[in-house]
Amino acid sequence: MSQAVGARSVGARVLRSEDPRILTGRGRYIDDFTFPGMLHAAFLRSTVPHGRLLSIDVSEARALPGVVAVYTGEDMARLSTICTPGGTIGMNAMPGIKCPSFYSLCTDKVRYVGDPIAMVIAESRAIAEDAFELIVEDIEMLDPVVTYADALAADAPLLFEEYDDNVAMTGEMTIGDIDAVFAKADRVINATVNVHRHQPVPMETRGSIASWDAAEEKLTFYTATQSPHMIRLLMAPQLGIGMESIRTISEDVGGGFGLKNGLFREDVALAVASRDLGRPVKWIEDRIEHLATGGQAREEMAEMEIAVDADGVLLGVRMNARLNSGAYPWDPFPGAMMVGTLSALFQGPTKLEAIAATSTAVFSNKATYVSYRGPWATADFLRERVLDIVARELGLDPLDVRRRNYVHLGEEPLAMLTGQPFTGVTTQESIEQAARIVGWDDFKEIQRAAREEGRYLGLGMASYLEAAPGPKNHATGQSAAGMLGNETSHVSVEPDGSITIITQQHPHGQSHQTTLAQVASDELGVPFDRITVKYGDTDITPFALVSTGGSRAATMANGSVLHASRTLREKILAIASELLEADPRDLEITDSTVNVVGTPSISVSLAEIARVVAEEPDRIPEGVDRELTASHEYDGGEGGWSGGTHCCFVEIDVETGMVEIPRYVVVEDCGLPVNPAIVEGQVRGGVAQAIGAVLLESSAYSDEGQFLASTFMDYLLPTTTTVPNFEIHHLESVLTDPDVNFRGVGEGGMIVAPAAIVSAIENALEPFGVKVREQHLPPARILELIGAIPTE
Amino acid sequence: MTDHSIELTVNGVARSGAAEPRTTLADFLREELTLTGTHLGCEHGVCGACTVLVDGEPVRSCLMLAVQARGTEVTTVEGLADGATLHPLQQAFMESFAFQCGFCTPGFVMSTLALLRDEPDADEARIREELSGNLCRCTGYQSIVEGVLLAAQRAREEGAVL
Repeated sequence: MSQAVGARSVGARVLRSEDPRILTGRGRYIDDFTFPGMLHAAFLRSTVPHGRLLSIDVSEARALPGVVAVYTGEDMARLSTICTPGGTIGMNAMPGIKCPSFYSLCTDKVRYVGDPIAMVIAESRAIAEDAFELIVEDIEMLDPVVTYADALAADAPLLFEEYDDNVAMTGEMTIGDIDAVFAKADRVINATVNVHRHQPVPMETRGSIASWDAAEEKLTFYTATQSPHMIRLLMAPQLGIGMESIRTISEDVGGGFGLKNGLFREDVALAVASRDLGRPVKWIEDRIEHLATGGQAREEMAEMEIAVDADGVLLGVRMNARLNSGAYPWDPFPGAMMVGTLSALFQGPTKLEAIAATSTAVFSNKATYVSYRGPWATADFLRERVLDIVARELGLDPLDVRRRNYVHLGEEPLAMLTGQPFTGVTTQESIEQAARIVGWDDFKEIQRAAREEGRYLGLGMASYLEAAPGPKNHATGQSAAGMLGNETSHVSVEPDGSITIITQQHPHGQSHQTTLAQVASDELGVPFDRITVKYGDTDITPFALVSTGGSRAATMANGSVLHASRTLREKILAIASELLEADPRDLEITDSTVNVVGTPSISVSLAEIARVVAEEPDRIPEGVDRELTASHEYDGGEGGWSGGTHCCFVEIDVETGMVEIPRYVVVEDCGLPVNPAIVEGQVRGGVAQAIGAVLLESSAYSDEGQFLASTFMDYLLPTTTTVPNFEIHHLESVLTDPDVNFRGVGEGGMIVAPAAIVSAIENALEPFGVKVREQHLPPARILELIGAIPTE
Repeated sequence: MTDHSIELTVNGVARSGAAEPRTTLADFLREELTLTGTHLGCEHGVCGACTVLVDGEPVRSCLMLAVQARGTEVTTVEGLADGATLHPLQQAFMESFAFQCGFCTPGFVMSTLALLRDEPDADEARIREELSGNLCRCTGYQSIVEGVLLAAQRAREEGAVL
């Protein structure tokens, strides 16, 4: 599909290369792959939250016609090496963390509703599920551990009996002189804030096909993932082979939102079965399995003491942070480790002087805690809630409190308590712009008039900073790329003069096939539609632990492609200068043709250059690099922050508890957007998920540990009638890097919007004297808060 | 279980295949007829990703059995484009950056097709009401609604056939 793109592709609303494929049903998602001889797996799962697996009899199931094999935990113990979650990348060595080992199927205990007990392999998925009825398991029920209190009780049943308690992680942190700031505080305010368990819910569930080649002793693993190389890295030790013996292939992925950024137990079981049986084995998760077992997130809380001065300026916070990490630590990022982010990332763009925290994560009989878009978002929720709480307690305007608390560009402090520099931070600019757009000062009168008519309107504001990727720290030498490392891309000229980019990213909605081509198009002088972006086959892509995640692509992948393209351009010009007998400095590339500047008739096309390199290499003298490909490992350059301010309007029907969002305004700063339409799509999608989180979604468990949200009639997603249109304003801020000023935007909406929405709701309910200290506010909860119905 | 032979018309072509009585239309289309453009997002009739047209009406193909589709005319997302030329609705969606990951897309395309055929003048509120039976987790819906409005406008102004 050809489209006319202006002189510069970057910054334009270039139409997506992905769309002709996905709009016509030609995408290739994991369930669209099929292979000769392929078998189908189904997992028998525990309906008991906590119990001892005394015995399991699969003999009748094995005898069912069409069933090829049935595996239990005992088989996995025989055929694979136990998983040590986080072990491959050292996360299990973090101070204070516990990472118990486990097999892909239960061996001794069941630890949550959905825990896989047996895997049936059959000629069809339906037959595999038929066999479930023929499996007899004997489970001795144990008391369930559901809440923080359950987990931390002195006589609590132990999830993992190799430990003395259910504590998955503990930590302490103090930065700054916490006692001194509390001593000088005018007020100390106490607040406990809760975030409920909810989950990513991509529209495509999890799924994989394992295909073992017995002759080569190699596994090809087809899967829906955000990080193909991670699968190889983590699976290899459990199969007892080297990662060079595993090739991961992943094409279109139907959404991930952080969830598809780990190795799942089902994946390992599939690989074991394929190796054992010598046939490809497919498993596609159904939605009930997904909601119950695919991975859940958040469920965090903090008890806080907040020291402020009389003007509402935050001086220090003492925090007792908790996180409920569920049953099995995720590999490679155990959820428990996220409890430290509540305090470590609390400061955001404020001038906070000190923070002290105790952090405790617990195991419980719930699904595994996984990452979800902005995995540290609770820290931002806490800070923005605290600013509102301070405003209310001191009788101040929340906007004024933010004006006093957020840093000003170029003024002290120049760095966070954690040492990260406040380079190019535009939070102050974003709150002023947002306040102007929404008419902040006029709203009080509108609100007052509405209240007289019995209508409850609210307006809330929240701001954030996201290290996407974060600034280079010149004081410590820490690169912008940070702990997830540098990013490599390969850029090549094809025989027909077109360009191929190979990226380590693994797009699943982020449109990298479009945006990376935009960047290369400008650098190389090749039309956008002559550039192909390849990804998802670990035989060709550069290694990356995390391919797409952490809002890194904008800086890291675009930067890598930009610099690789520049190197390739130099190589092209060096060859062209020989062919055209011209100085390379006098050459330019336009429309895939190299010509002498000002003399378009003296030219050679990229296709001709590629032909000469292939067929007449002798025309290019020795010493000139003839390889028409370039790579660049990018460290993020100067990097920088993403951030911004969101303002949410609500109207609440106090009869029904329904919250409507008539208007939502975003002022975001992600540097220079490569493609504003794609940036806006990312922002809207994130805010929509936040609307779901606050108004609808809850991964609810009963007090007995039963999962209560296993269908889309119980776990409610936002629809066209709950999500409003958004007004998005781009604040293109301070340029920090000479070349690359694109910054990540995938997570921001989901990071900050919950705070803006909850702030608006609290503002609307002011006449009822309601203090909102939680994130989940469905209609029933609104009615409880205003006293219309009794609290459960 | 015994297989039953199913004969039907899919995207204007006579097709036949075998299905167990319990096989859904969605699985039949995807596995027996290898038309994998129709996606399964929930298999309990809520998400709408599997929407196809059966005798012109939008149907959740996860809730319909293949045997019930005997003798019908089924239209799937694969049946709309003319070679490399997108259907006007697909073109409008593309120009509106309507979708991201693409998994829910086939269902939205088919639901919208039925809506705009029956109600070519549907306004935004009506479009939002009708499409509330399709879930998308990526976009926040605004771009999808804009795509529907663009397609409807073009159909009215330029006579694009939807």
